[in-house]
Amino acid sequence: MSGPVPSLDRLPGDPRYWYAGLAVLLVAWPLLFGAFWARIGLGALMWIGLAQSWNMIGGYAGYLDFGHGAYFGIGAFAAGIAMAQFGYPFLVGFGLAIVVSSIVSYLVAVPTLRLTGAYFAIATWAFAESIKQTALVTGITGGTFGLSLPRSPDTFVGVPVPFAISETFFYYAMLVLCLATMALTYYLFERHEFGYRVKALRDDQDAAESLGIDTTRVKRQVYVLSCVVAAVFGSVHAWYIVYIHPNDVLAPIITDRMVIMALLGGLGTLTGPVAGGLLVFLLERLSSVFLGSTTFYLPLIGVLIMVTVLFAPSGIIGILRGEVDRDDVRKNVKELGEKFDLL
Amino acid sequence: MTDDILRTTDLTKRFGALTANDGISLSVERGEIRGIIGPNGSGKTTFFNTVTGFYQPDSGSVHFDGEEVTGWEPHRLARRGLGRTFQIVSPFKNMTVRQNMLAVQTDDDRSREEKRDRAGEIMEFLEIDHIADNEARGMSGGQQKLLELGRVLMLDPEVVMLDEPAAGVNPALESRIMDHIHELNDEGRTFVVIEHDMHVMKTLADSVSVFDSGSHIAQGDFEEVSQDDAVREAYLGGTTAEDDEVPI
Repeated sequence: MSGPVPSLDRLPGDPRYWYAGLAVLLVAWPLLFGAFWARIGLGALMWIGLAQSWNMIGGYAGYLDFGHGAYFGIGAFAAGIAMAQFGYPFLVGFGLAIVVSSIVSYLVAVPTLRLTGAYFAIATWAFAESIKQTALVTGITGGTFGLSLPRSPDTFVGVPVPFAISETFFYYAMLVLCLATMALTYYLFERHEFGYRVKALRDDQDAAESLGIDTTRVKRQVYVLSCVVAAVFGSVHAWYIVYIHPNDVLAPIITDRMVIMALLGGLGTLTGPVAGGLLVFLLERLSSVFLGSTTFYLPLIGVLIMVTVLFAPSGIIGILRGEVDRDDVRKNVKELGEKFDLL
Repeated sequence: MTDDILRTTDLTKRFGALTANDGISLSVERGEIRGIIGPNGSGKTTFFNTVTGFYQPDSGSVHFDGEEVTGWEPHRLARRGLGRTFQIVSPFKNMTVRQNMLAVQTDDDRSREEKRDRAGEIMEFLEIDHIADNEARGMSGGQQKLLELGRVLMLDPEVVMLDEPAAGVNPALESRIMDHIHELNDEGRTFVVIEHDMHVMKTLADSVSVFDSGSHIAQGDFEEVSQDDAVREAYLGGTTAEDDEVPI
């Protein structure tokens, strides 16, 4: 049985050693490089996971969800409300994030997945905006004041745990979630018949229906799954940063980043969101830390998006796989040159 | 008494002022190969789409294997045993041939292994097993037609509706496709085939239905319908031709 080959299999030597080396590096990362790099690693893992969650519906199913960030915020506020307003431990908030995001995403999926293309994108964007505005005027979310979450050894499971709820703890939490998301994506979308059905409806919905695939049901399943994954990351993020505000965890930029990461990395691929997530997050963080600019990365990303769309629509992973058609690139360069009188 | 596996009664489908199917009543016997011919725009593909649930009929009914299935969703009909292909071949290009086969969803309780075995058998039968792990985007047009047929066979359908199976296929592959249809028909499967190539229709179909301007104007074996005045009128706009059959 063949399928998309994980990129490490293409490196020289026995891929098992590469996987083992990567595993050791990921586990030892905060111990080797300290708190600053643990924070960078933590952020990268979260954004890779979020980009992968968007990739499920946007890449594999081909539905451009521009409201996906709302579920990150819903997860954050579900955990935040459980912990800050009701005094429950994080695990209850975590469970609540799953339940609430499942219900909300299903209710959104029923009407919006009847739409396609730009109509679906606009509907989901409007949904996300309405959630943000609602959170800003609702008391239980803290409204414009936001919510502060407690963080002490007894706020994890309700009784004190014998380890510190520290930067390192959150790094490992994000590592576990990110690896679980990758494993789930690999199994469901690359190996299981479910993934073939998702790709089938993306390629040709009528043909998929004619082959017994209940496309309405499959679309809803993918949408709910992708939203729950985003909410799960949101819940951990809320506890990690301790203070959440609708303008932060429900900001449209969260969706934008997920889309850009998946697009740059390679839509509908397992490793695309990893490549795109790392590239965008590191560009942003490192330009902020080393160049002192929080906006320098934005024009760079803009250029990268244009280059990707025009010359490498299958993203970084497509380039690595040699899927870029040189004739297409030449043709696009020529057309652009002629259009702007450069040639 | 005939054993009809598919029957439509007064099936009508309109698109605004255009009546694409106008009260079509047609019965297909279990185990036959029924051809459907007619000039472009005569309503053949609309008939396929309405029978298989892609269009909701404005009036009339569809019965399949003794059960009324009018208005059923396409996937439900497919799982019930009514398979179809499309005029424009539509493989899932980003998947391998095998994955295309395994994407098919049925209601039976076959295990994953059994489904994989079944996919292997069908690919072997259609002689596309050597490209099982190739991406469908790299297949030739004829191979894509075979893959489409293979995917439909994964449904284990009682009736297979084929929309122009020989269109754009080279003669050698066309002959292979026809052989496969005959073999599958010998196993007891019923076929309803739209085809413009009259040589194909003459050798393939047990009986032929002729559509014109949304109506079912004639039915019989190929020789009968090719002599039918209404059919000649539909194809030639008159009966002055010396030909003894409808034009190719």
